[in-house]
Amino acid sequence: MKNRNEFKTAETWQAYMFNAPLIIIALLFVFLPVIGTLITSFFRDVTFLPNKFIAFENYKELLSDGHFWQSVRFTLFFVFVSVTLELVIGLIFALTLNESFPGRSIFRIAILIPWAIPIAISARIWQLIYNYDFGLFNYIAIHLGITDQPISWLGSTIGAFFSIVISDVWKSTPFMTIILLAGLSTIPPDLYEQSLVDGTTMWQRFYKITLPLLKPVLVVALLFRTIDAIRIFDLIYVLTGGGPGGSTTSMSFYAYNFLVSGDYGYGSAVSVIVFILAALLAVLYIKFGQFKEVVS
Amino acid sequence: MKEDKVKKILLFLGAAFLIIFCLAPFVWMLVVSFSKHPDFLSAQSSFMLTVNNYIEIITTPSLHLLRYLLNSIIVSLVSAFFATFFASLSAYAITRMQFPGRILIPLILLAFSMFPQISIVGYLFKLMTWLGWINNYAALIFPYITLGLPLALWIMLSYFSQLSTELDNAALVDGATRFQILQKIIIPIALPGAFSTFVLIFIYSFNEFLFALMLTIDYKARTIPVGIALFEGLHGQVPWGYIMASAVIAIIPIIILIAFFQRYIIQGLSEGAVKG
Amino acid sequence: MIKKFYLRIVFILIIFSTLQCSSNKKEFTIWIGGAPQELSFWQSVVNDFQKESGYKVQLVRQPTYSDQRRQSLIISLQAEQPNPDVFLMDIIWINQFIKSGWLVPLDSLVKKNNFPTELFFPKVLDPVDKLNGILYTLPVSMDMGFLYYRKDLLSQFGYNSPPQIWNELVEQSEKIQKAERKGNSNFNGFVWQGAQYEGLTCTFLEFIKSNGGRLMKDGKVDVTGKKNLEALTFMRDLIHKYHISPPNIYTEMKEEEVRRAFQSGNALFERNWPYAWALHQEKDSKVRGKVGITKLPHFEGDSSASALGGWFIAISKYSDVKGEAWEFVKYVTSFKIQKKMFEVMGYNPGRSDIYKDEDLLKKYPRLEVLYEVLKSAVLRPTIPYYPQVSDVIQRYVNDCLAGKISPADALKGMQSEINDISKLYEK
Repeated sequence: MKNRNEFKTAETWQAYMFNAPLIIIALLFVFLPVIGTLITSFFRDVTFLPNKFIAFENYKELLSDGHFWQSVRFTLFFVFVSVTLELVIGLIFALTLNESFPGRSIFRIAILIPWAIPIAISARIWQLIYNYDFGLFNYIAIHLGITDQPISWLGSTIGAFFSIVISDVWKSTPFMTIILLAGLSTIPPDLYEQSLVDGTTMWQRFYKITLPLLKPVLVVALLFRTIDAIRIFDLIYVLTGGGPGGSTTSMSFYAYNFLVSGDYGYGSAVSVIVFILAALLAVLYIKFGQFKEVVS
Repeated sequence: MKEDKVKKILLFLGAAFLIIFCLAPFVWMLVVSFSKHPDFLSAQSSFMLTVNNYIEIITTPSLHLLRYLLNSIIVSLVSAFFATFFASLSAYAITRMQFPGRILIPLILLAFSMFPQISIVGYLFKLMTWLGWINNYAALIFPYITLGLPLALWIMLSYFSQLSTELDNAALVDGATRFQILQKIIIPIALPGAFSTFVLIFIYSFNEFLFALMLTIDYKARTIPVGIALFEGLHGQVPWGYIMASAVIAIIPIIILIAFFQRYIIQGLSEGAVKG
Repeated sequence: MIKKFYLRIVFILIIFSTLQCSSNKKEFTIWIGGAPQELSFWQSVVNDFQKESGYKVQLVRQPTYSDQRRQSLIISLQAEQPNPDVFLMDIIWINQFIKSGWLVPLDSLVKKNNFPTELFFPKVLDPVDKLNGILYTLPVSMDMGFLYYRKDLLSQFGYNSPPQIWNELVEQSEKIQKAERKGNSNFNGFVWQGAQYEGLTCTFLEFIKSNGGRLMKDGKVDVTGKKNLEALTFMRDLIHKYHISPPNIYTEMKEEEVRRAFQSGNALFERNWPYAWALHQEKDSKVRGKVGITKLPHFEGDSSASALGGWFIAISKYSDVKGEAWEFVKYVTSFKIQKKMFEVMGYNPGRSDIYKDEDLLKKYPRLEVLYEVLKSAVLRPTIPYYPQVSDVIQRYVNDCLAGKISPADALKGMQSEINDISKLYEK
């Protein structure tokens, strides 16, 4: 029989063999590129000049870059509005799906549809819905008498903002719903039964039992969605192209424009800022998520 | 009781809102795809039923529609398979063995999943150019495996940790290797979890956009979300009929998946996120 | 563990097989974007070329907008892809493309075929299509700024020729606008492109240069100076002092908005590119037969300036069919095809012999004006980071037009931001 230490080392070695593919791939295709992006951000890296180390010059330029700050404001404002709406609507849907009623699985399929369709594709559908001349929304708005002039959904700054919000809420609410639904299902039904006996109203039960017990899941879902929303790109690219006049340019989209115009240094610097923002939120997420317990 | 009635009404409203909310754009896409004039809502035009859009986009080779779909399916299948496979290996080791970094690996991977793709894609482009993989399946498969690993790992972790180690120990005593145990005992039992993972990662890979946009150049490796995003048609103004028909064809695999496996999908998502 | 080893081999094999998935056949592809009618026309050109040369060529459609075309080209070229082999470039990207080493030098090919490069407006274009004396690209279609005017209204009010000097234009506009507004409250004296986009930089350039100002000094971008200040002040005055240009000039007027305003009879003068001419003569145009076209006015003591735009053709350094690609370049810039482009699409040729051809001059007398203006067209700064500089210029000029900042502050702010950008891109 091998002695304890040898056994330990053999097991460690084996464990690393099992983990090797995951570690190698993650290092090569996530860790390395992020480090690479960070390093590139300290260089002047354009296609028409030799690379030059310029330390924080790119970041200094960013500080005085009006377009960059516009993209920051847009991104943060968009995230705030979207995630709030997704939370509210998601909660409504989750409460609905939590009840058992006939045909529930059809509803569960229905709710997966917005989430499962590639956002680049659903963005084109939304492009058509928002169309000024023959889109669905303007048709409904005019025929229901909400307005007598067609609304410029994609051509005006405010219209474009809400177009993006609506499309994103449509796409992301299902995910929120599923998570909240899972959270709802962990609430023991006897709690409700008990309070029914005590003679409480529906609303009281909601505020006193459902919400407090749902809070940890709510927080996790909120943080998760926020981190996700910060990186918004697909919708912007297809639906508005960042316009009109750059008013719906998200930070990721702003970075993208530099990367594909041959300015890797500056584009990387913007990417790093997005990364830092997401990282700060991620730290919060991991803290509140209490993940350590699961692993042990 | 009055409250019951109110509840029933709210439930009905909620359900109706849900159905309309989720399905309206989807139905709209279908309607336009079958109509001759996409602008049939405007006063000058009218609705005319036709399958012409579908026939034309499938039979026009320069549109490469079916090739895009094929690329997407291949890339997503391969990525989902390997992500699930690698994640299972790791999950098994983490739940069954002791080694330094046992807790660190899932946490680091979780952190990785929060990285914005834009912060990765710039350098990834340079890396893929250097490897000569641009416009090649490999340029997408490897990053997609990486994107799917965190979710896959967490789902498999939660499944494996629910399985008691008794079977393991019994088999070990009988002289089986760890790998054989994983293969012959654990995977069969955890198949539902592995399947959930596979389906989820297939969907995420299928839907991915930024990497596909920057790492592919033309129909040879381009995926269908990019193909449809850039769809401008060949003649005439924006061909909405064609675009909607292409969109319908593009999402057929996805719709099939969620129709048959909605339970797996929802389970996987809940496991992966709620366990916190 | 043996099983694991097996699996790893299988894994590696699968990966290698996926690598081979794209074929390595040689393909001759041409990337062109633009409006749908343009693409149909280009497809016919490519088809004819295939018939005459026997080569198999694929025309790949790019997005419509200039910026997106540039981005997709840069991705391909940076990744050193064998496709596209031939592509078109907007005049403002050329410097970046040349300096990034993406274009095949054409000198040896030109010499071998005795290609007549002197026909392609060398005085105007050498700063653009050459670097250090080496030729990299050739013009396919040119665009210049013109003054369109309502012949009928001018003669009605006793003016027998369009204005040569800006003050004349103001005087004529004020008088005629006042009279016309009695019956048509939407009438404006002078419409031009003032929205915040690339077109505004062209307009700005024209006003400055027509006053003897300039944007480049000693190889650097320099927007300051008294002449520039006067010109910018005048631009702003058109809207806020003389009131002959409406406020939506700076909120939304780009090419099409300007054209539509003039075409619906709501303007006396229009600054626009040559494409508007054919549309103004269409059957349902309210100004059909009433339009004149001439050089843009200038300030007293200086000369007319017209911004040059256009699309140029080049061969990718990474092309795998360079010989065939050159045949296509020659084909597109040949007299026959350039003439066809002019007659069918209204593209102004990059070849000077078309403008001098007697038969064509008889059929299209406006060729003379086009030639005059093209010969003395002015260029936007030929620097590789031009789009970023233009971005700064657009913002400040538009803010000035909107009355948000004074012309002096605009120029100062512009120069300061441009200096920061230039510092980043200095050797």
